[in-house]
Amino acid sequence: MEIPYAQHYQKVFTDLMTGTGQYDAFFCGADWYGELIAGDYIISIDDLMKDPRFPKWASDSLAPSIKNLYTWGGKWYGTFNDSDGQTLYYRKDILLNLDNQKKFKEKYGYDYNTPPKTWQELYDVSEFYNGWDWNGDKEPDSGIVMHLKVGAQGMYHYVSLSAPFCLLPGDKVDKYHNVYWFDPEDMTPLINDEGHVKALEFQLKLQKTGPDAQVAWSLGEAWDYFLRAKAIYCFSWGDVGSLIQDESRSKIKGKMGNSILPGNNEVFDRSQNTFIKMDPPNVWGNTTGGSWHGVISTLSKNKEAVYHLLAFHATKKISLWNITRGWTGVNPGARFQFLPPEGDGKIEDYVSQGWNADDAKEYLKGEQENFFAKYIAPYLRIPGGNEYWVALDRHLSEAYTGQVSAKEALDRTAKDWDETTNRIGREEQLKSYQSAIGYTK
Amino acid sequence: MSALRSRKIKYFFILPSIIWVLAFTIFPLFYSLGLSFFKVRLGKPTHFVGLANFERIINDYKLVNSLKVTLLYVAITVTVQIVLGILLALLFHQETKGKSILRALMILPIFCTPVAVGYLGLTIFYEEGGPLNSFLMSLFGAKIPWLSHPTWAWVAVLLLDIWQWTPFCFLVILAGLQSLSEEIYDAAYIDSSSEWEIFRKIALPMIQPVVIIVLLLRLIESFKIFDVIFSLTGGGPGTATEVFSLYTYRTGLRFFDFGYASALSYLLLAIVMIIINLFFKRIRAVYE
Repeated sequence: MEIPYAQHYQKVFTDLMTGTGQYDAFFCGADWYGELIAGDYIISIDDLMKDPRFPKWASDSLAPSIKNLYTWGGKWYGTFNDSDGQTLYYRKDILLNLDNQKKFKEKYGYDYNTPPKTWQELYDVSEFYNGWDWNGDKEPDSGIVMHLKVGAQGMYHYVSLSAPFCLLPGDKVDKYHNVYWFDPEDMTPLINDEGHVKALEFQLKLQKTGPDAQVAWSLGEAWDYFLRAKAIYCFSWGDVGSLIQDESRSKIKGKMGNSILPGNNEVFDRSQNTFIKMDPPNVWGNTTGGSWHGVISTLSKNKEAVYHLLAFHATKKISLWNITRGWTGVNPGARFQFLPPEGDGKIEDYVSQGWNADDAKEYLKGEQENFFAKYIAPYLRIPGGNEYWVALDRHLSEAYTGQVSAKEALDRTAKDWDETTNRIGREEQLKSYQSAIGYTK
Repeated sequence: MSALRSRKIKYFFILPSIIWVLAFTIFPLFYSLGLSFFKVRLGKPTHFVGLANFERIINDYKLVNSLKVTLLYVAITVTVQIVLGILLALLFHQETKGKSILRALMILPIFCTPVAVGYLGLTIFYEEGGPLNSFLMSLFGAKIPWLSHPTWAWVAVLLLDIWQWTPFCFLVILAGLQSLSEEIYDAAYIDSSSEWEIFRKIALPMIQPVVIIVLLLRLIESFKIFDVIFSLTGGGPGTATEVFSLYTYRTGLRFFDFGYASALSYLLLAIVMIIINLFFKRIRAVYE
């Protein structure tokens, strides 16, 4: 049964909360786990995975950052399907054009990197390419395109972009290192600290180098804009790379580049309450998004049958078929899908499905860099997760559309988050959050 | 014996209606009232909180915004729909060629599903190459940020609602006009009144009860507006078009905070009841 994204969460949870049990299994975003586990709504599949009667899928092949999203407390709950993380797609052909590079240097005084090393560099390049016809269609084109519509996953852009502004890297999770969402000692929201405000101010500036309409665009519209060769950059999920291969809607097959998102030359250090310089730039991989996958409802009367179906879809053959087709929404995150040295996949797996070989290499390189990055931005999976996400989404949209300043939008988000935390129970939430991010005193 | 059976059988026939009203109106009404006094987590009442959910209403800045948006929305759409409805009704009250076909065409929007209208709006108001902006570009060389600008998104929502519901106002008011006796008009023409005078001093006062009923129905419906906004803007950009019912929906069916959502629903009920009472008073005054 297919449910539109906007109604997905409430349909599933209404079924679970009312005990209706209409769905034996359902696809969920990894950020739902806080509530699914708290409500005891899904079952662990550890025993089913060992059962020889069911199709075998390579659970040990998942990138560690992705495996974290399919497990909770050391137990498996999800069967492998999708791996979400935002990477930077760029128009390699335009960016490597020597004429363009020369003009850029004349204007900005330096040679740009392809892909850019920092967000500031990306901004300069995006600004340079914005507003003139660099693709020959006699219409002005854009530097970047984002999907920023409220209620349509717009907030994920901010989360991916802001990580290197706010996340102080460290060897372990403590009060100041590797924390993004809340203070791990008292659940004070960090979303309005100076690092976040600077990140959002930067995003608002960057937004001006793209089409005005993007604040009302969901994924499809923004991706189509990039596929129609109208923007230099688009940072989004793995779907874009495989959609580019579909020549019925893409004009840029064979012209794409893909990399981990840029870093930042400074990061906000809360222990000193100041920004500190970072050289090399502060770079974070991310698992932003849902990493949509199947879980089995506690209410199901056909747990084994439904596991069989999900496990079948997680097998190498089906999984590869899915990730080579953009419209399935399934993106790579397991070693058997990547190329050596991190993976053991083969370029032929992609080329035989119609991929341009260079695109496939670029695509998998970018995804690999992201999921196997030294630092992976922490993921929010606590009870009430959806409420926190929605609050962030609506207030970011207020800032994107000029209704409030970056600071005001994030202050409002922090206020809403505090209300949610207090209503659910601060102590309960603190324990859950500490467990989710691996914090110990 | 036969009379007794006849008396009993009438209860049998009204029983389905009674069950329907009890199950789908009375029970939810009291159940939600009960819920509004509880903290609800993941759809399950956890403990009694007294009036806490109603106190929360007072301090909820998001609610204030959604109320403002709703009141403005209701005021604009209902006013425009009624005025346009009257004007169209006057036009169609004249003898014109092809009137019945035009009237049938005029009322078609009423039969559209509001959610579908919202999705249709997404196409019409699409900013980069959508039909409306393409038309504006060809005429004026400029386009309008229909869905990405808070004010224009508002305009887009208003236009769709007015397009869909003006025909309803027009149809009912036209029926009101046509129910007036021709003799009244004939008498007025003998007194050589102008068309405007006849409308202002004779037709309008006589169809006033009809206009009030239309106004009342549109007010109630407009306060509950949800579908078009849900599908067209999702309440955005930001919170620019987040009406009260959308906010309540999110609270109840997105966050599953049924306690607070119930309290919010009772607030809307109270607002609508006050308006209905005011209008009934007015209707009574007209008739008396």
